[in-house]
Order: sequence, then C-alpha cells, then structure tokens
Amino acid sequence: MTPPALKIKELSVWLGTGHGRAPVVDNISFSIKAGDATGLVGESGCGKTMTAMAILGLLPASGVSVRSAGIEVNGKDISGLDSLQRRKVLGRDIAMIFQQPATALDPVFTMGQQISAVYRRHASGSKQHIRQTMLGALESVGFSQAEDIAAAYPHQLSGGMRQLAMIAMATVCKPAVIIADEPTTALDSSTRTLILQQLKRLQTVNKTAILFISHDLAVVSQACQDVMVMYCGRLMETTDCQSLFSHARHPYSAGLLSCIPRISETRPAPINSIPGQVPVATELPAGCHFAPRCTRAEAQCRNSVPKLDHENGRGAACFRPL
Amino acid sequence: MNTHVQSAGVPLLEIRDLSLRFHRQEQVAVDRVSLSITAGRTMGLVGASGAGKSTIARAILRLVTPDSGEILFKGKNIGLMNSQEMKTTRQRIQLVFQDPSVSLSPRRSVEQTLMEPLQHFAIGDMNHRNEKIREILHTVGLDESALRRYPHQFSSGQQQRIAIARALVTDPDLLIADEAVASLDVSIQAQILQLIQKLQMDFGISILFISHDLAVIRQIADDIAVMYRGQLLEQSPADPFFSHPAHPYSKTLLSFAAGKTPSNWTSDKWYLERSRRSADSTSACVFAGFCPDKMAVCEQIEPAVRDIQHKNQRALEPHCVKCHLYDAEQTNDQ
Repeated sequence: MTPPALKIKELSVWLGTGHGRAPVVDNISFSIKAGDATGLVGESGCGKTMTAMAILGLLPASGVSVRSAGIEVNGKDISGLDSLQRRKVLGRDIAMIFQQPATALDPVFTMGQQISAVYRRHASGSKQHIRQTMLGALESVGFSQAEDIAAAYPHQLSGGMRQLAMIAMATVCKPAVIIADEPTTALDSSTRTLILQQLKRLQTVNKTAILFISHDLAVVSQACQDVMVMYCGRLMETTDCQSLFSHARHPYSAGLLSCIPRISETRPAPINSIPGQVPVATELPAGCHFAPRCTRAEAQCRNSVPKLDHENGRGAACFRPL
Repeated sequence: MNTHVQSAGVPLLEIRDLSLRFHRQEQVAVDRVSLSITAGRTMGLVGASGAGKSTIARAILRLVTPDSGEILFKGKNIGLMNSQEMKTTRQRIQLVFQDPSVSLSPRRSVEQTLMEPLQHFAIGDMNHRNEKIREILHTVGLDESALRRYPHQFSSGQQQRIAIARALVTDPDLLIADEAVASLDVSIQAQILQLIQKLQMDFGISILFISHDLAVIRQIADDIAVMYRGQLLEQSPADPFFSHPAHPYSKTLLSFAAGKTPSNWTSDKWYLERSRRSADSTSACVFAGFCPDKMAVCEQIEPAVRDIQHKNQRALEPHCVKCHLYDAEQTNDQ
C-alpha cells in the first residue's frame, strides 16, 4: 500500500516567552492522500500557520521548540533534516504558497527568473529546457501569454496574477505536497474562484496533496474534500466538508459555520457570531480551550481535556458534541 | 439622537451623472454614475477591485474633484460649498476604512482618537465629550478600560470597533464603510456585521457599504448598486436583485460568489479584463467583452439605463439596468 503523501505524527510547537513556554500547536496528527485536499480552518491565532511552518521546518531554532514523532512526505521522514538536506526537499517534494505574494516574491527579479531559479535548484538541463519548463508552469495556471508574465516584475502584476504566478513557481517541480496558507484571502470573489480552480487542477492532473489553510469555511468547502478545525493549537474536529456543513459536531465548528454570510433570495436573519476571542497562548484556559466561549460547556469541559477520537478519520474533541 | 431627513422625495445623498478621470491615466475611474441614498437605508455598492467604488466614496467627501456631475447632500451641492459648509458636511458624513491597523494613529490612545473629531468640530464642552466617548465605546462593545490603551494593544476586530466608534462620535447622518470587513477573519467579520446591524436598528443611520463580497452585502444592504469599470450597471432594492438579478455581470458576480466560474471565463480572459482600458470601448457596453449574452449591438452602441421594475414592487423603488437585453422590455411594458 502506498503511504499517504503527507503524514504528520504527534506534532507540537512550543514558543518560549518571558512568561514561560506556551503551546501553539498541541500534539496534532493527520495525513493527506495523494490527490486530496484537506482544509485546516480556525480563527487567527489558532496555530494554523505555525503548523505549516513546523511541517516545512521554517521556524527559527531559538525560542521555538518543535517536537514530532515524524513528518513524512511520501513515506520519507523530513523532520530530522539539517538545513542543507532540507533545501533539497523544499520546492521539490513539498512547497508552499503564501498569503501575501507581494512580500513572498523578490521585487528585483522577473517572474521568469524566480520560477527558473526554483527549477534549477532541483533539476538540471539546458537553458532551453529550463525556459520551456518555466513557461510551461505559467501556461499551466492559465496564462496563454506566458512570455509576457515571465518578463514581468512582481509589481507589474495585479494581486491575483501574482498569486497565480506564485502557484506556477510552487508547482514547477511538481511537488507531492503543497501547503497553501490563506492563498485567496484579500482577493475578490472572481479572482478567488480562479485560484481555487487552479488548485483543483493540481489535485487531478498532478495528483498533488494540498493542505489548505484558511479562516473561511466557505472557501475551504469549495477547495477541499476534508477539513480539520483547529482552535488554540488543538484539532477540534476532523471530518469531510459535506458532513461538517450538514452536521457539525463540535460547537466551535458550528460557531464558525454560523459566521458565514450567505446569499439567499429573501433577506437573511441577522448573522450569528462566536462571542469573545481567541485567548493568547500563555493564558490558555484549563480543560477544553473553547469552554469559556462555548454555550454548551459544563464543569467537565473546564476540568479535563476531551480527546479527538478518529473514527474513519472523523471525530470531534468534545464531551458534549452536537 | 440624530436629526433624520425623512422628508419624502429628497434623498439624503444624491449623485448625479458623476464622472472622474485620474490625470495621466487613460482610465475613467467613474463614468456617469447616478446614485441616491435614502435616509435610514443601507446602500451596498459592489464590484470587482478597480471598479471605482472607493473613488465614489472619496468624491462624496470631496477628497477628489469630479470632472463633471454633482453630488447633493441633503439637497445641497457639495461641489459649491465653501470651506465652512464643507466642514459641517464632513461632520455629517463619516468614513470607516478597510484596515484599522493603518487607519488608526499608533501614537494616539483610544481616548485621544475618539476625542479628536469632537474637538475638531467643536462639539460640546469637556464633560459632554467625556460622556459621549464613553457612550460610543459602549455602543461598539468596548469598555472604559480601552480609553488609555493604544491601537496595537487591541485585536484587529477591536481595532475596527474603535474605527467605527471614531466615525460615530460626531453623530453622522451617513456612514461610508469602504471594505470595512474585508481584511477581517470570518468570525470577527460576523461580529462587526452584527455591530453594523445594531447601528441600523438602534440609530437608523444611513450607510454606503462598499464591498466586493455579495454575501456580506446581502446581510446588511437594503439597496444594491453594481459597478463595473467605472459604470453603474444595475441598481435595485436588495430582494428583487437577489431573486431576479438582471444584468449579465450581476449574474456573473453571483455565480463567482457561489464558487462557480462562468464557462467563458479563464485566467486569460480575466487577466485581459483587468488590463483593458475603458477608453477602448467608449462606443460599446463596458461588459461586452466578457458577457455570456453578448449580441451584435453590444459592441456598437452603449446601452441605455432601463427601469425593469417588477409588478409587485413599490413604485418608489426602481430596478435599473444598463443592458441591451432589456431594450425590448421597456417598449412592451409602457
């Protein structure tokens, strides 16, 4: 049996701060099969980006401690690699699409130079071959005038075009896994839809596994089959998108769902929201971290930590699930 | 509370045939837009980035000068106001921006931030001002402990509440919210939308709500105006708009919002759409290049604005569309 494209075992990230150490990712495990897309969803400050950075090994060595029982890409553990070995993996086996293409791209090189540089690091070939591959990557995200885009500097492209060009850059080596961190946030709906379409294409054509990070469940449901809901560094619920939308079991998932404004023919009822806000990592409440904001919380929720029971990859970490 | 202009017939804000072209750019930012906002109602102005939505907001506050057309606030042309009248008008029209981390001064405490508009417009004495600030903080869901703190000590949602409080402190008649929830998390966005809904109910304030997100607009708008490349393509009360969107562009926006790409849209087409100058197409419909329902006439003649009001609608609420598809409808109906 082939191993999953991405398998995370018992990943934890602690930040050392003045007040002591604080957990920002708390013992999470999951896996994504080739060609699947899984959403990681939660409010800002829930540890989503920290999870991505820990998987890629991009967190600084000082002040942060990362523990895991394994981070496997296609069955190969990348958690213990030194920085030299890691550079051979990043971009070739696993790549990232960042939220802000404006800051993730280098302003002094053309898009063509930047995409070629990624390819040259991992593969060899004639100048002609490298150029063809680079143009091919741009064409594959839907640019028919790939030459023009390759010759452009990042600032000459609009936000959406930059994001598409960054997808071309992340996929030029056809990595097995792509982590997309809020790739459509701050883009308008037409651009967002086109970006999601490109990510779908990567799944079907390249069999890429995608970890899709977003605060917006509506976007996740368009981009992914499966979803993990994260709160204060813990996975609260893992399930497929359809089940989550039809029957969310964790009150936090239900809360996130109720926040999504919806288009309907008649005027919708006033929108709901989750009262309160995400606590900072140094002041996490005991028991279930969501208990202080939860309408269903009881004494048990404030004292002990509910476990996430995966049954066929589905489950909710809650004593009183819906 | 507020002095509402409820006199029938006179809208709170009326924009007539507004055009604005940025110099050194061929692009027309706003192209003959007419729009009116009735007291107590919320107008949702929707369109893709670059459609000219924010330029209209700036023109209303006279931060940019239109090339032609006029803007009437309570029946008075703001283009003809002297500086004293304009100052009074700006007190009545307040603005909330997209990103509170940029629109709030990092060097001013919340108290200073909220006090400044009251001082600038010389509203009340010191006691009244202190009272007013505390009342407004309570309205937006913050407590007095916020007064001595600085913007960076708040989360983005709380910062946006402070920005809204600053806008409300002068008791404006019209609030312009320019993508006020676009940079927020969904859960924070929901909290801010709840706050805006509360303001609509408790204060009956009029809002020009600018957004690219139709789902957000659906939640709070009474009327909808759709802009595309500087032009207003459809204007309607919210319910008929969402049950019977008329313009092909409105339908395109709705299908994008539902996560569906119209079959004739590709990355390329969309790229072209963004880079094309509207000066290219003065004699055609601005949307003709991408319209799924394009006819021969659309490339040659600019469509006129038609009222396609449905039978069951109130007479004062026109449903206007700028599209050749409805050319015939008007002649049949009348």
